[in-house]
Amino acid sequence: MVRSALQQRAGTINRGPRRAALYLPAASVVAGSALALLPIIADAGWAPDLGLLTLIAWRLLRADAWPAWWAAPLGLANDLLVGSPLGQSVALWSFVMLSLDLADRRTLWRDYWIEWLLAAMLLLASEAFEWRVAAWGGASVPGNAILPPLIISIIAFPLVAGIVGALDRWRLGR
Amino acid sequence: MAVVPPPASRPGSSRKAQYGLFFGLIATIAGVLVGLVLLGLSLVAPQRYAALRGAALDLTAPISGSLRAVTTTIDGVANGTADYWDAARQNGELKRVNALLAQRIIQARAVQLENAQLKATLQLRERSTEPVATGRVVSSSFESVRRFAVLSVGSGDGVAIGMPVRAATGLIGRIVETGRFASRILLITDRANIVPAKLLRGGLPVLATGRGDGSLDVRPLEVGRNPFKVGDLLVTSGTGGLYPPLIPVARIVRLDDDGAVAVPLADPADASFAIVERPFEPLAEQAPAPPPPPPSPPKKLPTKAPA
Repeated sequence: MVRSALQQRAGTINRGPRRAALYLPAASVVAGSALALLPIIADAGWAPDLGLLTLIAWRLLRADAWPAWWAAPLGLANDLLVGSPLGQSVALWSFVMLSLDLADRRTLWRDYWIEWLLAAMLLLASEAFEWRVAAWGGASVPGNAILPPLIISIIAFPLVAGIVGALDRWRLGR
Repeated sequence: MAVVPPPASRPGSSRKAQYGLFFGLIATIAGVLVGLVLLGLSLVAPQRYAALRGAALDLTAPISGSLRAVTTTIDGVANGTADYWDAARQNGELKRVNALLAQRIIQARAVQLENAQLKATLQLRERSTEPVATGRVVSSSFESVRRFAVLSVGSGDGVAIGMPVRAATGLIGRIVETGRFASRILLITDRANIVPAKLLRGGLPVLATGRGDGSLDVRPLEVGRNPFKVGDLLVTSGTGGLYPPLIPVARIVRLDDDGAVAVPLADPADASFAIVERPFEPLAEQAPAPPPPPPSPPKKLPTKAPA
């Protein structure tokens, strides 16, 4: 560890953060939401909420990726891109930021598995909330319909977290 | 395992930093509340944000549309190649089917002629079924438990909320949001979409409700013996005035205790074109998306004679 840290890596001199590095995390969340525009015409909603996954991955990686209140406008963008009822992601994503702030205060140590567990709990809460909203909107889908997308989201989280980690290293020029 | 550093909660003695954190917290809590209020409003009065959502549709549908064109082309090339590969066998089969259809057409013409004569004697007026617009289904809500799709025509083409959408093979859904160049369809497979239909065999009135997983729940309006058979076809009945009668809807694939599960005949993923039509009765056009009768009271609904 120490040895590799002392080693001079090629091409790292004079490389600082990229331009707009401050806004790249938020932009990547919007890009994640925009994946809903892919021309996939599915019979059932099996896919994870990619915007939310990106948001959780960034927030678990860094507490200061963006000010916490940015979750509201990012959620609004997600609602408009995905076509969910306006306000659903605004409330949900702000709630995610608040609960992860709380988790930061309560957890004394973190590792990979705890982050995955936190993400899984938030994904479960979000799927349950979306299920309730669908019921209020007149579509009371049976509860087990949220299981496939939930399991796919939880499995997809490490992948998204990996992409987000790579993006973070790239934007900071490391 | 990494120890979480404490500074997020205690930024030291700087007043400015402390206030900054505090206001950030207040703003995030406000975000939750504003979101809940917005959500409540958009659930109670879905038309409130119609302009905003329509604008978002107009901005995003062209992206999906152009991507869809790419996938359709790739798909077409792949299928086309496969067709060449198998041309001789297909040719033989098509010749056989063609001969069969030629006979059927003659029979159908005779029936049509007879039908026209009968209608003339009854002095029934034909309703015009001229389509309002024709578009492509470009994307769907694959991230949500709701079943929506985006159609590449909007209010600029005459599309309005509440209009039924069909493909050549069957019913797809109805319009729930319009932008200038694009609109959103509530698919018949959505839980909130109830289609008044009837069995093609015997004309028994039924209600078809989406199950959210690409299939439909079919219930007879009259309680009693399960009237369905696997393979039965459903067509719209015209009850409720929204969907025109005699559009193919679904085929029964499985029976359960007091009803059946059916699969839609039109697959929006396969349909090259989706046709937007006028609501069957003009009254249905004025009220935005009139909900068809609820399935709970098991009494016979007044069925209208199909035109």
